[in-house]
Amino acid sequence: MRFWLQRVAMAVLLLLSVSALTFGAMNILGDPLFNILGPVAGDVNNPDSVKLIEKAKAEFDLDEPLVVRYGLWLSDFVRGDMGVQFSSDGQPPVSDLIKERLPRTATLVLLAQLMAIVIAIPWALATASRAGKLSDRISTMNTFFLVAMPNFALAIILKFVLSIKLGWMPLTYVANDPLSSRLWQMVLPALTIALPVAAVFQRLLRTDLITTLQQDFILMARAKGLSRRRVLFRHALRPSLFSFITVVGLNTGALIGGSIVVETIFRIPGIGSSLVESVLREDFPVVLAIVMIVAVAFVLINLLVDILYSIIDPRVRR
Amino acid sequence: MIENGADVEMLLEISDLKTHFRTPRGTVRAVDGVSLTLERGKALGIVGESGSGKTILSRSIMGLLPRHGVIREGSVKFRGQEILGKSTKEMQSVWGREMAMIFQDPMTSLNPVMKVGRQIAEPLMLHLGMSKAEARQTAEKLLRDVRIPEATRRLDQYPHELSGGMRQRVMIAIALACGPTLLFADEPTTALDVTVQAQILELINEQRRDRNMSLILVTHDLGVVAGFTDEIAVMYGGKLVEKAPTKVLFERMKMPYTEALLQSIPRLDQPSHSRLAVIPGRPPDLVNPPKGCRFAPRCAYARDRCLTEEPQLTVAESPDHVYACHYPVGSPEYHERRVELSKASTAVGGSI
Repeated sequence: MRFWLQRVAMAVLLLLSVSALTFGAMNILGDPLFNILGPVAGDVNNPDSVKLIEKAKAEFDLDEPLVVRYGLWLSDFVRGDMGVQFSSDGQPPVSDLIKERLPRTATLVLLAQLMAIVIAIPWALATASRAGKLSDRISTMNTFFLVAMPNFALAIILKFVLSIKLGWMPLTYVANDPLSSRLWQMVLPALTIALPVAAVFQRLLRTDLITTLQQDFILMARAKGLSRRRVLFRHALRPSLFSFITVVGLNTGALIGGSIVVETIFRIPGIGSSLVESVLREDFPVVLAIVMIVAVAFVLINLLVDILYSIIDPRVRR
Repeated sequence: MIENGADVEMLLEISDLKTHFRTPRGTVRAVDGVSLTLERGKALGIVGESGSGKTILSRSIMGLLPRHGVIREGSVKFRGQEILGKSTKEMQSVWGREMAMIFQDPMTSLNPVMKVGRQIAEPLMLHLGMSKAEARQTAEKLLRDVRIPEATRRLDQYPHELSGGMRQRVMIAIALACGPTLLFADEPTTALDVTVQAQILELINEQRRDRNMSLILVTHDLGVVAGFTDEIAVMYGGKLVEKAPTKVLFERMKMPYTEALLQSIPRLDQPSHSRLAVIPGRPPDLVNPPKGCRFAPRCAYARDRCLTEEPQLTVAESPDHVYACHYPVGSPEYHERRVELSKASTAVGGSI
């Protein structure tokens, strides 16, 4: 119990420092007023411009000190109000923008993570039980190929082969289609993210499985007369999953990073593409909201990983 | 088996069994032509130093070897049936059911993330087709058989919640689960406390008698096998060098190696702080085993002939006692060398 309280306290502290750092960096390195109004912000001799400047300053509390502004942003944020966009007349509010776009990215990332795991585990089991043989070596070459291949190149290849040449997969994402076809449209983008990730997961799990397969209790399991498959699934897999789930957790960040490129190529209006746009426009409230969502997701997933540890290994249970 | 009468069932007949491993250094002749027989219900001790091939011999009899790089030749007949050429798949119905093995280290030989009850139930469900509930009940009974207190509670515990001795008892329960006819125990007490060792051996012996199992007890400790076996086979460098009924072996051992093994055990009738006799040197390299007798380079009684000519297994005074030595304990050459040795040691002792 005390352990979990500590974990939650750590998570809150982490989120506070991420938000403070992002908030501070953006406000110090950029000029919010310029980002809201554009060139008008420097036009202090024109009374019309001054009026606009005064209005923007009042709306965004720009005259307050940084700490106070952070406090205001934070109290809004925890209540679910992520502020107003700097650009496009402030419409829609950031919260609505996120609400519209987050489910798409979340689906994409979750689907990709799921695919990566589903591909990696059987792949690792198959190669670990034949370690050093030809099939294992061919598989190793494939993993290096997948890992070395840049995301956008893989996306284009998959799209060209599966959608354009073979016509098996839809080309792009259409936001107004029914849910089932939107999910189907997500498959190829998710696969693009998942393949290199699966290759990394597979390498890791394969190595751990090979180590586990040399343990005494594997010989003991064989001596019971269990089939090779049963030994692999029932005895070798579970004790080999530790570093695997650790990396699955830590890798969530990389998945979200991967989604930025893939969302652009497959035209999925998710938060990845919003992030690119808002960073380029220095639209601080949007950037901040996305950074916070990614951070929260990261913290939650790693909390989940800790819970998984104790499920997998009775020895770490408290 | 014919001469012993029809009521004796020969459970295991091994002839000229070889087990070689291909390694980058060359072929390791871990077991190099071993012949043995074992009757139903009897206990055989296989004794030797580490590296003598005793563990590989027991695994090779069972067929429990790595899948690649192993050459296994000769003949292993189990209940009259040749099992040496059988595939892993065919052997899987024999393992755990007809032949079972207790491993050396109870700390690492149980799956750390699986409940004890499940680990015992596994072979029961697989070989005897029991349901989950039946298997659990039988597992509980087995835990009682191996004298684990609070058996019901233990079923749902993990190995790390049990002590070493308790874990070895669980391993015995797993091995006994399907009522095997041949039980292998590979150094079953080496990793345990001395106080627990005797209990575990006693337990194995008692279960063997109750269930009319045959036992192959592999150990480096002659003292361990003395009380629990009918016969002893001494291994050196992948070969069988002496084999006799336990009593005969202790009374009239022929191989200087067997004698040296016995002398390396501390004895109560020696004054305290007296040095233990050690066997000088190291076990032979099994990639390039010595020509002649494999023990000769380390043997205090070796002569030129031992280094060039390999001794064959010879029958001693009693027909069930065989040994492989040119100048066995009790021969004139042996006595001659013994006198020289004792003179030399007193001379050295005097000068100190």
